[in-house]
Amino acid sequence: MQTGAGEQAFQNYVLPELDVLYRVAFSITRNNADAEDLVQDTLLRAYRAIDRFDGRHPRAWLLTIMRNAQINRVRRKRPELLRDPDTTMGRVADESADGEGADRRLLDRTLDAAVETAYLDLPEKFREVIDLVDLSGLSYLETADILDVPVGTIMSRLHRARKRVRDHLESVGIDAATTAAPEDQ
Amino acid sequence: MIFGKKPGGISCRQVAKDLQTFLDEETDDESRRHRIAEHLEACRDCGLEADTYRAIKGALAQRAPEIDPATMERLRAFSADLSDDTP
Repeated sequence: MQTGAGEQAFQNYVLPELDVLYRVAFSITRNNADAEDLVQDTLLRAYRAIDRFDGRHPRAWLLTIMRNAQINRVRRKRPELLRDPDTTMGRVADESADGEGADRRLLDRTLDAAVETAYLDLPEKFREVIDLVDLSGLSYLETADILDVPVGTIMSRLHRARKRVRDHLESVGIDAATTAAPEDQ
Repeated sequence: MIFGKKPGGISCRQVAKDLQTFLDEETDDESRRHRIAEHLEACRDCGLEADTYRAIKGALAQRAPEIDPATMERLRAFSADLSDDTP
């Protein structure tokens, strides 16, 4: 059982990040059930450690906990993945193309479809960074922390990924700068 | 490209190098941020380049799936249970 202060800190620092934690967990695991397990594992570890947390940068603190939790999970499930530090976060399966986009209402379906195609063509390492920065809204530093790579690597992967998306748009004749205007399409 | 001029006091090449970081609001140096913004306002090509990447970022961000409310509910319940169950 936590102290009253610990309970309060957990409420103040951890619970507001629940949404981000889930998105990041999903980016890492690519699977709803595993993402939920990973968030639970992170919450449990955070709860136990909250008394030692100084209250600064709760998201970064939680992401570090999540990273460690995931490393342990991968070690239990797939020890061979640990040989390559770049894969320590583990890609259990590549199931990103699950067709769940059917309900989305897109302002520009042409642009979005082309971006989707380009995204699915990206190497997993690039997609992972796009997910964490563009979808989950993490900073470069937070992304570097969760993936356990230098910030420069994050920047390089992110920029190369977007360049590839851009090149794909060009190759299919889409001018993103003008096509993105809302309505009209 | 504006030959012979450097809007914002920086070249198109320098802007291209820093554009992604700028769009991600990760440019720490405030004066550099201002100079890039000024350049993008004045230079049509760089401005279009920025619009292109903004559109790409926007389209990528739209891919964010809705989180199942039931999942969030379970996670909140799990958090609440921690207070009761953790020794």
